[in-house]
Amino acid sequence: MKKILIVACLLGSWLVAGAQNEVVLSGEQLFGSMRARQIGPALTSGRITDLEGHPTNDRILYVGTAGGGVWRSMDGGSSFAPIFDKYAQSIGVIAVDPVNPDKVIWVGTGEIWTRNSTSVGDGLYKTTDGGASWQRMGFENSERISSIQINPKNPDEVYIGVMGPLWGDSNERGVYKTTDGGQTWQRVLAGTANTGCSELILDKNNPDVLYAAFWEFRRTAWSFNSGGQGSALYKSTDGGKNWKKIHSGLPAPDKDYGLGRFALALAPSNSNILYAAVEAKQGMGLYRSDDAGETWHYLNKDFNLAVRPFYFSRIVIDPRNPDVLIKVGLFPTISRDGGKTFKGLGSMHADAHDVWFDINDSDRFYVGTDGGVYRTWDGGNNMEMVNDLPVAQFYHVSVDNEEPYNVYGGLQDNGSWFGPSASPGGIEARDWTSVGAGDGFRVYRHPTKPYVYSEMQGAEGVWRYDIEKRQVRNIKPFPVPGYEELRFNWNAAMALSPNVPDRLYLGSQYLMRSNDSGDNWHIISPDLTTNDPEKLKQDKSGGISLDNSGAENHCTIFTIAESPLNEHLIWVGTDDGQVQITRNGGKEWSNVTANIPGLPANTWCYHIEASNFDEGTAYAVFDGHTANDKNTYVYKTTDYGQTWQSIVGEGVYGFARSIQEDYVNKDLLFLGTEFGLYITLDGGKHWVKFTNNMPAVPVHYIELHPRTNDLVLATHGRGIIIIDDISPLRELNQETLQKEVHFFATKPVVMNDHSDFGGGSNGSQYIGPNPDRSARIVYYLKKRHVFGKMTMEVQDKDGNKVADLEAGKKKGINIVSWNYRMPPPKVAKGKTFDFGGFFGPRVPAGTYTVVMNKGKKQYKHQIELLYDESAGIPLADRKAQEKMVRELYNKIQELAYLVYQIDETIAYANKAAEENKKLRKSAAALEARLNDLKKELVITTGDNYVGTAKKQLREKLGNLYSTVASNYQRPSNTQYKNMTMLVKELNDAQTRFSYIKSKELARLEKAATKYNLKGLEIKPFEQFLKEYK
Amino acid sequence: MKTKLTLFLLFGLFAVTLQAQDVDEIINNYFENTGGLDKWHAIKGIEMHAKVNQQGMEIPITIIQMADGKQLMKFELQGKELVQMAFDGEVAWGHNFMNMQPEKKDNETTENLKRSKGDFPDPFLDYKDKGYKAELLGKEAIEGTECFKIKLTKTPKLVDGEEKDDIAFYYFDAENFVPLVVEQEIQSGQFKGQISRSTFSDYQEVDGMYFPFSISEGIKDMGSQAIVIDSIVLNPQVDENVFKFPDTNAASEESEGNK
Repeated sequence: MKKILIVACLLGSWLVAGAQNEVVLSGEQLFGSMRARQIGPALTSGRITDLEGHPTNDRILYVGTAGGGVWRSMDGGSSFAPIFDKYAQSIGVIAVDPVNPDKVIWVGTGEIWTRNSTSVGDGLYKTTDGGASWQRMGFENSERISSIQINPKNPDEVYIGVMGPLWGDSNERGVYKTTDGGQTWQRVLAGTANTGCSELILDKNNPDVLYAAFWEFRRTAWSFNSGGQGSALYKSTDGGKNWKKIHSGLPAPDKDYGLGRFALALAPSNSNILYAAVEAKQGMGLYRSDDAGETWHYLNKDFNLAVRPFYFSRIVIDPRNPDVLIKVGLFPTISRDGGKTFKGLGSMHADAHDVWFDINDSDRFYVGTDGGVYRTWDGGNNMEMVNDLPVAQFYHVSVDNEEPYNVYGGLQDNGSWFGPSASPGGIEARDWTSVGAGDGFRVYRHPTKPYVYSEMQGAEGVWRYDIEKRQVRNIKPFPVPGYEELRFNWNAAMALSPNVPDRLYLGSQYLMRSNDSGDNWHIISPDLTTNDPEKLKQDKSGGISLDNSGAENHCTIFTIAESPLNEHLIWVGTDDGQVQITRNGGKEWSNVTANIPGLPANTWCYHIEASNFDEGTAYAVFDGHTANDKNTYVYKTTDYGQTWQSIVGEGVYGFARSIQEDYVNKDLLFLGTEFGLYITLDGGKHWVKFTNNMPAVPVHYIELHPRTNDLVLATHGRGIIIIDDISPLRELNQETLQKEVHFFATKPVVMNDHSDFGGGSNGSQYIGPNPDRSARIVYYLKKRHVFGKMTMEVQDKDGNKVADLEAGKKKGINIVSWNYRMPPPKVAKGKTFDFGGFFGPRVPAGTYTVVMNKGKKQYKHQIELLYDESAGIPLADRKAQEKMVRELYNKIQELAYLVYQIDETIAYANKAAEENKKLRKSAAALEARLNDLKKELVITTGDNYVGTAKKQLREKLGNLYSTVASNYQRPSNTQYKNMTMLVKELNDAQTRFSYIKSKELARLEKAATKYNLKGLEIKPFEQFLKEYK
Repeated sequence: MKTKLTLFLLFGLFAVTLQAQDVDEIINNYFENTGGLDKWHAIKGIEMHAKVNQQGMEIPITIIQMADGKQLMKFELQGKELVQMAFDGEVAWGHNFMNMQPEKKDNETTENLKRSKGDFPDPFLDYKDKGYKAELLGKEAIEGTECFKIKLTKTPKLVDGEEKDDIAFYYFDAENFVPLVVEQEIQSGQFKGQISRSTFSDYQEVDGMYFPFSISEGIKDMGSQAIVIDSIVLNPQVDENVFKFPDTNAASEESEGNK
């Protein structure tokens, strides 16, 4: 099954079913110019799994993330760019070729810090062109690759450590070796079904020497185990042919628990010195070897050296000093005495996973945490966060009805937030508002009141935050008589009612409802889970190290959906695979799980979407990956759950977590899987991956904004991603796909009156792009336009051209933006530029025709522009403004014409004087008169910066014009008076020019005819306007 | 022209049925389909009159490129001409927008222009003789259209003082063998590390040859700017002085570009 899915995905092509001559389109072809917008934020960043530098260039840094792919900085961490967007975004390890570091980079996918929410990888990748393209080098089923070690003397010889799957058995774990750059692999040290290689180190000074740490581990949805008899340290001195255990001096394995996870490091500057942090029932702590692993001696067991080994097993040694080492952890610590004592580093986000020392200066290093990358310049005393890594891991997203709307969501270890979908100058870090602590999950805005609901892991906190009064009320429910202790998922179910504004739901094992915004709770169901006692032993979870954070809480409600069509119809899905429905507001429940065909028992119900079209219709998405089942499970019912059918047609890759139904076209659905966003136009028979600026990132939740039709994605690794206005997809069907050109209907465009003060965040801060506020002309081209002319223009209702546009020529959907402005006026020529004249006036509201000329064919499409009602500007005021702008526009062009005539006349006078000496006197008189006139009309000295000359009529007109044209209110009295004054000046100048023409020019022309010189030729006004640039 | 285009398209259709494609076949098809190698070899200079649209304002530009590496790009604004970039084979220069005076380009830009001489009239023309290397990477859809992806390695360029390979990825239309897209990693400046992307369309005939009349320049996944070409003159008569750095002591008026 999986193989088929992968093949389908690789082919990426999609057949629209049914018709005879089907149009076959892949994602990029179909979606054309529709592009995702990654709005971040980067202010919290997200979980970093691996840091890697460059062997000779200390400005280059690679960052591997838990769910946001691989990023590269070329400037020491000031700015970053992603280089791995097409592939699995969960990263285990990055390695840079020591011989060819600018070209060859390896990425092992699959995070190795195995928390409950960790994603999965799908193999080993290599680039030989510096990241422009990648090839998979095998290990598709490895899920997690911990290590890549390259022989510095022969970079075709590479060893990798396969840690392997977290939730199931595997026979692929172990250490592998290639001697041909990855073409073929040989396993040189095997793991077991549940023991994989968690760390592999090659001695760069003697590449035949290798050290490997093996770890026995397993997760289920309700438990975790670290440790077993498989966990061990090994060494090879012959390039991996033979291995021996190196445990002399280490704690003996416990007879029940064995040993746990090792952190292992070899000092780059001294091949005899190694450090190992050992997870053990007895003797847990840090050990050191001074004889290349032959023997070990115990150093200490400080809290940070032993804490949560599954999450923090890494030691990094200063490349120049074997006695300086950093152990990552809840808060990382540094030793400068060979591991005897440790002290904390400067303030930074908790939960560090890796460190990279600068290649030239040990006081400079980077730390990767759950909250991004931190950088120090002073040996770790002070840490500063880098601000350009938008790798936030959202669990969920919701939207409100503000203009622009806000997005709300919670983050892995980074609280809960809301932020705008658009902001002047772009969406900056400071635009986001914190509305919760801890790990944040589901966040909602009350539909009518200024409340934000948020929660902390396992409903430890459930908050109602009044964002106007800045008052917080903790509304978490408490156990009440007659019911069991409340059991909440780590990612506790919370939902709003689409029908009753003050209604809020919470899911423990019971469904709880509040009708007063969380003040009081009522349990409205029995225990809706399997309540399996075997799955309720979290206090014993963890293995060697007890780890009962709440992350493994199970047998809980995970998804709640009240039908938008019926407030009494509620769907509930549980993490142990139960789907329950009530049609009378909780009085009676029926479990419809057994009606779902092909769904393995107890598969986590991740999301239920109640249909907008019909109350009996719903979609349910199941995620089996915590049972080692990575298949896609998406079902639809149209009869209240009595029957279900799978809608996983062709083209989907990855286990799914969330689905969104369109509000208009019931066959248009959006599906979030672990590897990106998939869209179907035919109710699920065929799915197409959306890849336009959309990484292959886990999509945990999808929301469709009902007003804007924006698709808003909560990604678990790349923040919030928005696809603006998906409404064109509603019209896509085989009929439209068969047309050469098809224009999509677009909603009337409101011409935005908002000002644009804002921006100004410094260059190293991530700024989320704004939506395009322009009028969007959206059309489909069956084929890319390559030969012959293709143009596009906009005409007003009288057929006058008001704008030229750059036509999109791609195959598929093209989006052309028009800023609803006309070209700027033609401005008189002076010594410098008149900046006021670079501004085109906005057109009035109304209907406009887009005319596309493609070869010999012409296509027309109408768009409608509206005024921004929310600006509160009366229509009469807008019309007054438009009238004045028009008048000033015309006056600016009249002045341009006047100056043109003056310049031509001066040129004529010069020419006449040159031609005949006898004309010099009258020519000089004419020129003098004209220059006197001209210098009052345009600037004739100075430059465009601070050497500006005194403003003349051109600059005064331009200043008034651009001021009035860039506001939309009624012009002020002083503006009118100013215009009157300037127009008079222009009229006077025109009169003066006419006078000069009738006197001095006439005299010169008359004299010139005697010498057979032609008279002055001046272009008519219209011709001048057309030709002058 | 119509017959030519039809033939050309037929040829294209025929060509895709070929089983194997090697890089030289694709390049040869491109030159054959756009006028033939003889015509390409006969080009000694190109003058293009084009316009760019900025915020609704149409700005006319003129681009001249000569076989000996001389080149000029100037634009017209509010009746004034400004040189964006000119190169006479030795000195590269342009007007400063603030004071409208000519200024020399930095030494690395100038050196790299010298090294780009082989790009005229097309980098693929006799590319082996120029020491360039072309490699077919396979078929790949770009913006939804099936293309041949060719990696072209040109004369190394200077980047912040270091010699770096000058590599561009060309996407030739698999149907007609004309380039549709060129991508190149930006080597320095604010967008260092990002990919620049040029797209070509509106191929039209000029003296029996085909050239793209619409070129969009931008950064992949970010915005782009279209250059729409109104006319192309092959082997134009050009006054050599237009490429030369003006003598600023004598010619402040001239350098402002008064016509």
